[in-house]
Amino acid sequence: MHCIVLVKQVPDVSNIPEDAWDREKGTLRRALLDSILNPLDLHALSFARRITAGDPTAKTVYLTMGPPQAREVLADCISRAPGDAVLLTDRVMGGADTVATAYSLAQAVRRIERDLLGGSRDYLIVTGMQSVDGDTAQVPPQLAEDLGIDQVCYAQDVHTEPELTFRRIGAQGTEDVVPLRFPALVTVTACTDTLYRSFHAARAARSATIHTWSAADVDAAPDRCGIKGSRTTVYRIFSPSEDRAKTCEMMSDPAELVRKVKAKYRLATGGPAVHEEGAYALDGREPTHRGGFWILAEREGDGIKSVSLELIGKAHELAAFLGEHVAAVLPGADAGDLAAELIAYGADTVYAIEHPQLAQFSPLPYRAAIAPLVREHKPQVMLFGATPMGRELAPRIAYACDSGLTADCTKLEIGDYAKGGQSLVGILKQTRPALGGNIMATIMTKDSPTQMATVRPGVFKVPPRDPAHTGDVVRITPDLGDSAAGVRVTSVESFVSKVSIRDAKIIVAGGHGIRNKSDFDGLLQPLADGLEAALGDDAKVAASRHAVEDGYTTHDYQVGQTGQTVAPKLYVAVGISGAVQHVSGMQMSDTVVAINKDPRARIFNYADFGVVGDLETVVPQLVRATKEA
Amino acid sequence: MDGIDILVVGAGPAGLAAGLRAKQAATQAGRDVSVVVLDKAPAAGNHALSGAAFEAACLDDLVPGWREMRTPFVTGLVPVERDDMFFLRAKAANRIPPMVVPSRMHHAGDVIISISRLVSFLAEQAEAAGVEVYHGYSARTLIVENGAVKGVRLGDVGLAHDGSPKGNHIDSEEIRAGITILADGTRGVISTQFAEHFGGGSVSRVYSLGMKAIVQFPEASPFGTNRVMHTLGYPMRPDVFGGGFLYAMGEKTVAVGLILGLDWKYGDLNPQREFETFRAHPFISRLLKGGVTVATGAKTIPEGGYNAIGALSAPGGMVVGDGAGLVNMEKIKGIHYAIKSGMAAADTALEALRSDGSVGALDGYRQRLEGNGVLEDLRHARNYRQVFKYGLFVGTPLSLVSSMIPANLGIHRDGAATRKGARLNRPDPGRMDGATFVALTGTLHREDEPSHIEITDPSRCITCEADYANACTHFCPGQVYRWSGSEVVLSPSNCLHCMTCTVKCPADVIRWAAPEGGEGPRYKQL
Repeated sequence: MHCIVLVKQVPDVSNIPEDAWDREKGTLRRALLDSILNPLDLHALSFARRITAGDPTAKTVYLTMGPPQAREVLADCISRAPGDAVLLTDRVMGGADTVATAYSLAQAVRRIERDLLGGSRDYLIVTGMQSVDGDTAQVPPQLAEDLGIDQVCYAQDVHTEPELTFRRIGAQGTEDVVPLRFPALVTVTACTDTLYRSFHAARAARSATIHTWSAADVDAAPDRCGIKGSRTTVYRIFSPSEDRAKTCEMMSDPAELVRKVKAKYRLATGGPAVHEEGAYALDGREPTHRGGFWILAEREGDGIKSVSLELIGKAHELAAFLGEHVAAVLPGADAGDLAAELIAYGADTVYAIEHPQLAQFSPLPYRAAIAPLVREHKPQVMLFGATPMGRELAPRIAYACDSGLTADCTKLEIGDYAKGGQSLVGILKQTRPALGGNIMATIMTKDSPTQMATVRPGVFKVPPRDPAHTGDVVRITPDLGDSAAGVRVTSVESFVSKVSIRDAKIIVAGGHGIRNKSDFDGLLQPLADGLEAALGDDAKVAASRHAVEDGYTTHDYQVGQTGQTVAPKLYVAVGISGAVQHVSGMQMSDTVVAINKDPRARIFNYADFGVVGDLETVVPQLVRATKEA
Repeated sequence: MDGIDILVVGAGPAGLAAGLRAKQAATQAGRDVSVVVLDKAPAAGNHALSGAAFEAACLDDLVPGWREMRTPFVTGLVPVERDDMFFLRAKAANRIPPMVVPSRMHHAGDVIISISRLVSFLAEQAEAAGVEVYHGYSARTLIVENGAVKGVRLGDVGLAHDGSPKGNHIDSEEIRAGITILADGTRGVISTQFAEHFGGGSVSRVYSLGMKAIVQFPEASPFGTNRVMHTLGYPMRPDVFGGGFLYAMGEKTVAVGLILGLDWKYGDLNPQREFETFRAHPFISRLLKGGVTVATGAKTIPEGGYNAIGALSAPGGMVVGDGAGLVNMEKIKGIHYAIKSGMAAADTALEALRSDGSVGALDGYRQRLEGNGVLEDLRHARNYRQVFKYGLFVGTPLSLVSSMIPANLGIHRDGAATRKGARLNRPDPGRMDGATFVALTGTLHREDEPSHIEITDPSRCITCEADYANACTHFCPGQVYRWSGSEVVLSPSNCLHCMTCTVKCPADVIRWAAPEGGEGPRYKQL
C-alpha cells in the first residue's frame, strides 16, 4: 500500500511578532511570520510510516502546493521519513481557495499515480485534517470528490493487521473503518508521537530530488487554478475583539453567588458571541441572486439535531430580507414525522430523501443523494451545521455543485458589495475566524450557483416551534447507482460516554493554591457535582499546569497554553493565580468564577465573580449552596 | 553521505561569521570545503539576545556591500546620535557629564541593532554562500579522542518523562568533522566541556544576567530615536554590579534592559523584579510612557575578561565568541569580537585543512586574535569587571585605571558570593509578573520530555531555605524553580536557556543539559 502524503507550509501562528500586525489595515504581514510544516501533517507522516512499514515495495510520496519556498517542507518531511517529493508550484495557482487547491492537487495526484507509482491504484492519500492558517478542513474532502474516491476523516489510529483499519470518532460515535476500494483518502487528527528530524537524514535531504511541476506539467487548466478558479474571495480581514478583561464582582455570600451564577448561566448561549444583526432592506432593488435558502437537516436519534433547527431559524431571517423561502433537505432511510417537525420550526419545504443506504451517514451515498437535487434547484444559499457529518459532506457537495463553501462561520448577513465596476445586491456575507483565531475574515462567494456555508452549533438560536406553520413535503427516492459506501464501518462505542473537558459546559479547575492531592480530589469533584445538579449540564474537573506538575492529576485535564483551550458556559477557578499562560486557555468562557486566597491574584481580572478566602472553607460552603439552590 | 570538513556548533554571530568566512574563502580559492553550522534554536536568531550598540565595521569585510542590502536587519539599523549616562537615585536622576565617562564607553559611531535580526541576516548570507545551516539540533557532548576534538554528539530525542524511549525515539546522533569550531555562546554546554578538557583561565569566569524588554509605542516614543542611554545606581545597591539601558530601536520602539552582576550577595534577589523596579523609576517610566511591552528575554553575559579566557584551541577544535569569553566589559561589547573571532577561526581552519584530508595545528588562531585587535582590547579591560567586587564606590574610580593595575585580579565564583542570611526584601512593584515575562519570551518545550535540569543533591536545598532563601526560586528569570515546602519542584518547560542557574546556585548542585532541539525561547527582535 503506497502513500501520498499531502503537506502544507503554513505561517507559525503560535509566535506572531508584534510588528507583523498591520493594525490599520487589520491584516497580518505573512512574510514576517516564520514558516513551518503544518503540525497536523506531521501526524499524517507518522500514519503513512506505520502504513508502509514492513513492506519494502511500498512507496511514500510527499506532495505540496505552494510558492517555490515550499520546497522547505518537503526537505523537512524527508528528514523525518524517507520518500519522494513533489512540489507543485506555479504563479497561476497563487491565491487559490479550497476548490482551486483541490483541483490542482487532484491533477498532481493523477500524475503521481501515473509516473511515480507506475499506474498502481493501491494507494492512500494521507493528510492532516486541517491546516492552521485556513483551518477549513475542506481541501481533503474536495480532493476526494475530484478523484471520485472514498474518504475516512478524523482518524485517530491505524492498524495494518489483520486488514487496514482506521479508528475514528464519527457522527455516531467511535468506529473502526476498513476501506474496501482504493485509492482512498484519510485525514488524521493529532494522535501520534510525531517523527523527529534526524540530522543525517536532513543532510541527505539537501541532495534529494524534488520533482517540481507546474500547472502545465499536470494538465491543470489555468482558469481552474488560483484566484481565477476560486469560488470564494476574502472581502475583509479584521482583528477579533482583543483583551477579554472583565469587571469582577466580589462576593462573600456563597448562596448569593450561586444565585447570580445560575441567573447568568440561563442567559448564556455557550458558544461564540451572538452578534447583533442589522436589518437589511432591499428597497425595491433587484437582488443579484434568486432562489431559496436551503439547510441540511441532520438527525440525532429519533429527532433532529439542534444545529439544524438553529439554521432554519437563521435561514428564515436571512431569506425574509429578500422575500425568499426556506427549504430543509432531510436524508435518511425513512423520514417519518421529522418532515413535519422541520416545518413546525420554520421550513417552507422539506425535501425528504429516502433510501435504505442512507440509514447511517456515509459521505459517498449522501453526496450522491443530495448533490443532484441542489444542482437541479440551484438554491441561492445552502447552510450546513459544522458537525462531524457537515464537515465531511458539505465540502464534497459544494465541489460537486461548483460552489464556494465557507466553513465555521460565526456570523452570516445579507449585504451589498460595490467595488470598481462590480455591484452586488443582497449577497451572503460570511464571517469566520482564521489563522488559528488570530484574525476574523469576511468572505463572499463568487462564480457559484449557490453560496454555501457551515456554521458551528450554538452560534444561532433555535427558533420558536409553531405547529400551525404549514409547508410542503417532497418525497424523493434517489438513484444511488454504484455510489455505495466503499468502506466497512464497525461501531466500537456508539455513544461517546467520556466527555472531554473541551466539551464540558461546566468546568471546575484547581491550581497551585490547592495544598495536596487529597484536597484536589476532595474539594473539586463535590463542587462539580453540585453545579451539575444545580445547572443541569455536564461538569468536569480540570487543572492548571502547576497542579499537573504537583501530581494532582494528569495532562489530559490541563487547561492552558500547553494544555487544552476550553470555552465552557461556566468556569470556576479554584486556587489558580491567573498567569497569562493559563488564562489564554479559558478566557473565552462565558462566566468565570474565581476563588483565591490572594485578593491581588491576576485571575480576578478575568472573572465575573470572585471570592477571596481559604479554599478549604469557601469551596464546601459553595457546595452546600448549590444543593440548596 | 560526505564527511564534514568544518563543523560549527552554534549559529550566533560568531558561528555564522566563521561558517560564512570559511565558505567564502574556500570558494574564492577554488576549494571544495563542506561547512556545517548547527544550532539548538527553532529558527535563526531565536536564542540570541543582546542590547545592542554595535560596531558595524566588522561586517564590511565579512559581507561586502551589506549596507546597501534591502533586508529587515539593514533597514532597521539606527545610528547613535545621542548618548547619555545617568545616575539614578530612588526618585531622581542625575546626568553624568560626558567628560567623566571614559572614552571607551562612548557610543558615537555605533549602530543600534537587534542581535536576533543580525543573526537572521547572517544565516541567510551563509546559506546563500553554500554553508549548510541546521536549526533544531542540540549538541550534548563534545567528542574528544586521543586528545583531539572529533566532533559532537547530539542528545537523544523522543524520550518519555521517565527517560524510556517512545515510539519516535532517535538515538543520539554523532557528528564528526575534520575541525570543530565551538560557538555555543555564554556558558555553552560544549565550550564548557572544552574548557574542562583543555584548560580554563587563571581567574574564575563570572557572569552578568541581562533582562530585556521591547516596548512598542502607538506614536513616537517619549525617549526619542537615534539615542542610547545607560544608567547606574537605582535600583541596585552599591554592592550589586550592574546598570540599565534604553536603546532606541526606531521611532516607535525602545529596548529597555537591566544588567546585574551575578555575584550579588542576596539570596532573595529576583532579577525580573529588579527589572520591573527599574522600569517603575519615575525617570524611566516617563521615557516609556504609553508603550506596551511586546517581547521579553534574558541571557547571561560572560564577564571574566582576558584572564578568564582558557584554551582557545586544541587539536581539531577552536572556541569563538562568548563561549570563549571574548566580551569587553569596559565597552560592554562582545558582538563584533564574536564576529572577528569567527573569521579568525575560519581562516585558521582553512589553513589547517590539508588536501590529503589531515588537519594541521590550530595555534594560528590565537595569533590572528592578536593581529585583529581582539585580545589587545580585552587585555586593556582585563581588571575592569573585577574591581567592582569592592563595590560601586571603590570600583568606579578604580575602573578608570583598571588597565594599569599590574596584578591580575581574581574574583569569586558567582554562586559562592551569596551570603548566608543576606536579604534584599525588594517589595513587589506591582507591574509585569514573572509568568507574563516568561510568556513574552515565546519559550516552549515538550512538557513530557525528561527534565534537562537536574538538582544533583536535593539535600542541600533544605539548608538553603534559611541560608539563601532557596535562591534558585528567586534568581531564575524563567520561574523554573518553585519551593514546595520540602523540596524544589521544577517547571523545566519555562526555561529561557539563560544559564544563570549553572553559576548562581550557592551549593553548585544544578546541572543543565541542552533539551531537545528546536525548543526554548523564540526571540525575533531581541
